[in-house]
Amino acid sequence: MSSDFYTSSILPYAGIIIKICRAYTNTQEDFEDYYQEVSFQIWKSKDNFKAQSEWSTWVYRLSLNVCMTLLKKKKNNPQHFASDYLPEELTEDSKAFADESLTQLYDAIRQLSELDRGVILLYLEEKSYQEIADIIGTSANNIGVRIKRIKERLKKILDGKVN
Amino acid sequence: MEKSIETIWKEGFLRSDALIAPKVIDLYNKKSTHIVDKFTRMFKINLIGIVAFSIFIVPISYLVKIPYLGIGMFIIMNILVMINYKLLKGLKKIDKNVNSYQYLTSFDKWMKEQITINTKIARVMYPWIFISMVAGFWFGPFGGEAPGERLVTELLIQFPDMVVVFGFPLYGLIGGFIIILLLAYFAGRIYRFDLNLVYGRVLKKLEEIITDIESLKATD
Repeated sequence: MSSDFYTSSILPYAGIIIKICRAYTNTQEDFEDYYQEVSFQIWKSKDNFKAQSEWSTWVYRLSLNVCMTLLKKKKNNPQHFASDYLPEELTEDSKAFADESLTQLYDAIRQLSELDRGVILLYLEEKSYQEIADIIGTSANNIGVRIKRIKERLKKILDGKVN
Repeated sequence: MEKSIETIWKEGFLRSDALIAPKVIDLYNKKSTHIVDKFTRMFKINLIGIVAFSIFIVPISYLVKIPYLGIGMFIIMNILVMINYKLLKGLKKIDKNVNSYQYLTSFDKWMKEQITINTKIARVMYPWIFISMVAGFWFGPFGGEAPGERLVTELLIQFPDMVVVFGFPLYGLIGGFIIILLLAYFAGRIYRFDLNLVYGRVLKKLEEIITDIESLKATD
């Protein structure tokens, strides 16, 4: 795309959008669909941005909401996603990263609840508890407690103590 | 687990090429369909609103004893709706099995055509509304004494030299005629203001996407 809205207002935040979309998808096909849908929704809703928060915060919030909504839709209507019929080895390949530890971490994150995935992603992106709380719509104290619990659960999953 | 999740995260993304954004090939199709669907939805709602208002105004105008206004509004609004309903059918005929650019330019062409037609209608509609309003207040309720005639009688008592043409004061007729001419002259601008008020955001987005696609084609 050229010097349009996508290049100026979405692409600079592509990194976080990619990280979020990866956490909610298992296949490359779904990931690309989610990424596209997030980009579309940002463009569609851009007039609703009221500058009460940073543009980046708004992008995070919207990306998480879109991914969570799509995941819910997928759970309710699994036939909708053709990628569910892909052979296991194909889906495994497409969700792998070059870094093995990162692949394992993402696999662990995908085992968390939809909301917890969002919280931990924002935490890993070094957002403050207050920023995460603002994006998720809860209190900073709640986020602190939640992150502690999520980290413990992730550690257990990565250590192989939880399936 | 040797490393903390924070370290895995940081190092993992430093090493990998996982942050390359995928191509958003379908984005323009989505945007185009969204724009046209949104416009169609708003256009339909607008037409339903006009019909509802035209039906509502008839009994209300009768109750407040200006039925000619209600009838006039009912007629012009339903003519407007019928013409625009026909235009809407043309919008539905736009071929969706073409690329985004062709689809949007067809929509843009349809839009310009409907603006031209509605501008012409507006040249009749605004003066008509004015005439309906004057008629409503001038003739008053069915069968009763016309308030306009009463007004002319009172004016003639105060100004016996006043010129009356077909039962109307000449100056009143000239004033009304000037207003009608002004309304017909500025109808296009009033209509465009109205159009921007209702569809401004959608039209802006349409223009934006077409410009985007054109600049994209130019760089190819």
